[in-house]
Amino acid sequence: METWTFLMQGFAVAMTPGNLLIALTGCFIGTIVGVLPGLGPINGVAILMPLAFALHLPAESALILLATVYIGCEYGGRISSILLNVPGDAGAIMTALDGYPMAQKGQAGVALSISAVSSFIGSTIAILGIILFAPLLANWSLAFGPAEFFALMVFAIACLGSMMSHNPLKSVLAALIGLAMATVGVDANTGVYRFTFNSVHLSDGIQFVVVVIGLFSVSEILLMLESTSSGQKVVRASGRMMFNLKEATQCVGATLRSSLLGFFVGVLPGAGATIASAIAYMSEKKISGGDTFGKGDIRGVAAPEAANNASACGSFIPMLTLGIPGSGTTAVMVGALTLYNITPGPAMFTEQPDIVWGLIAALLIGNVMLLIMNIPMINLFARMLTIPLWFLVPTIAAISAVGVYAVHSTTFDLLLMVGLGIFGYILRKMDFPMSPLILGFVLGEMLEQNLRRALSISNGNLPILWESPISKVLLILAVAILLLPPLWKRWRLKRAPLTTE
Amino acid sequence: MSDRIFAAVWLLLCIAGLFIGWRIHSEYNYEPLGPRPFPLILLSLMALCAVMLLLRKPDRVSWPSTSVLYRLLLLMIMMLLYGWMFEKLGFPLSTTLLTFGIGMLFGARWWAAALSGVVMGGALYYAFDRLLDVTLPLGSWLS
Repeated sequence: METWTFLMQGFAVAMTPGNLLIALTGCFIGTIVGVLPGLGPINGVAILMPLAFALHLPAESALILLATVYIGCEYGGRISSILLNVPGDAGAIMTALDGYPMAQKGQAGVALSISAVSSFIGSTIAILGIILFAPLLANWSLAFGPAEFFALMVFAIACLGSMMSHNPLKSVLAALIGLAMATVGVDANTGVYRFTFNSVHLSDGIQFVVVVIGLFSVSEILLMLESTSSGQKVVRASGRMMFNLKEATQCVGATLRSSLLGFFVGVLPGAGATIASAIAYMSEKKISGGDTFGKGDIRGVAAPEAANNASACGSFIPMLTLGIPGSGTTAVMVGALTLYNITPGPAMFTEQPDIVWGLIAALLIGNVMLLIMNIPMINLFARMLTIPLWFLVPTIAAISAVGVYAVHSTTFDLLLMVGLGIFGYILRKMDFPMSPLILGFVLGEMLEQNLRRALSISNGNLPILWESPISKVLLILAVAILLLPPLWKRWRLKRAPLTTE
Repeated sequence: MSDRIFAAVWLLLCIAGLFIGWRIHSEYNYEPLGPRPFPLILLSLMALCAVMLLLRKPDRVSWPSTSVLYRLLLLMIMMLLYGWMFEKLGFPLSTTLLTFGIGMLFGARWWAAALSGVVMGGALYYAFDRLLDVTLPLGSWLS
């Protein structure tokens, strides 16, 4: 019952005209960012985050903007998957497998409408999941001490490190680079300057906005120059736009199963929309039994879309209840909250209910807006695919620079942004994943503070870090997640030659 | 090969960082850990990862062809110049120049790039500085 009161309070926040307008803008921009190949939710959120701050939006409005951009991207990604066979964002890769064949058969409209509805069902189920589980989890984690939080952060970093890439060593190094970058600047406890090289601009640390924009916007621009492939044919969505009853009943099972699966995958730190939609697609393919998947089966469009939207919404749970982001995009949002001097975590549910419940209500409202936008306005969004890069890229560059400049108004930040962008480009070319890096950067200060606090409590005795059962389990899981996949691979490689002989 | 070069450079950076980090010390000492150990632990772990990266079989990295690398370098220089001249030339003019430059790099006709540059510089300045209250430099030559 208490939840109901809070939810109503959240609706009161989200339904103010200003916030409704912000949610609508966020949904619209999000869908466009999702449609454009190359730009995904993390780029969209990264570019808009400093702007929200520069526009002096209050914290809850800023979070609503970023969250609606995030879920909008998950809707938008499917459009280019279906019409162009190029996924608009990573979560929509699976949608192209059956969506593009459907479009070639002249069923683009049907594929787009069924995927919009399944996206809607997926997100709605996941948001209901947030409403049910998040308060419970927040209550439980209120009892966490510094040692438990330390273990939890190590676990989150290990998860993201091992799942995001087939290259665990590089992911761990990326996370460490992020953590190390966070130590630059004045130490909060003692006032000592660390790694500032006597520069005034670094005394406050490397600005979060600069890191995010450099790594996700500038490096993206450099990658875009490299892959200037145009001239792909956009299939026009014509003919029947809506799916019929028969097609809808065909998809009900697949959509519901994939929504639940996507939600649980989203809650896990590390595994995001990409993994969720891949698992959903594979398992629906198995359940269907036939060989129609990959040739334009309507269930192959509904299942991954339900899963990736559900997982995007599910990933808000660890961020809201524990303050530990489970994905790159939510890591950026946590960083945005810290710009407002709000420490995300279990206390937010009691101390900042307006922000938490306003966000949850806005997610529900945003979903309805997206569903309404995404069926009739589909051709408007599809036309975004014809924006030439020579216009798009400078726009991204200029808006990024405005966002960075708005924070401190220094040339130094702009140059650092470009420098980090070049660094990010090199890392990405070498297959270093960026999500662990940004997660490390966001968690760096909290990780160190909790470690030092825990050791202060114990007077310098290390065992406090693993004495409680919760931290013990989390630390063991973290080590297992990092070590098991490579060992398993090696074991299988050893087995392989034996079986072939 | 790129993996090994990167790992070697990173290892050297870590060692340099360890030297710098070792000299961090604070006058106050009211907590057991202090500001020094955490960065040192991170740097050592990074050095360890770099050594492992150096020793294992490197991944194949496909760098773009020379002509693309040349254009990439051009883009990087343009972005750096943009950042450097942002305050001196002011937002409208520097954005116009950047849009024109990037436009040409991405294969626009010169008149289209020039037109979009002027529109972008003016429109974004008006939108952010006037409508949205984000203060942007107009440039020392205009004010």
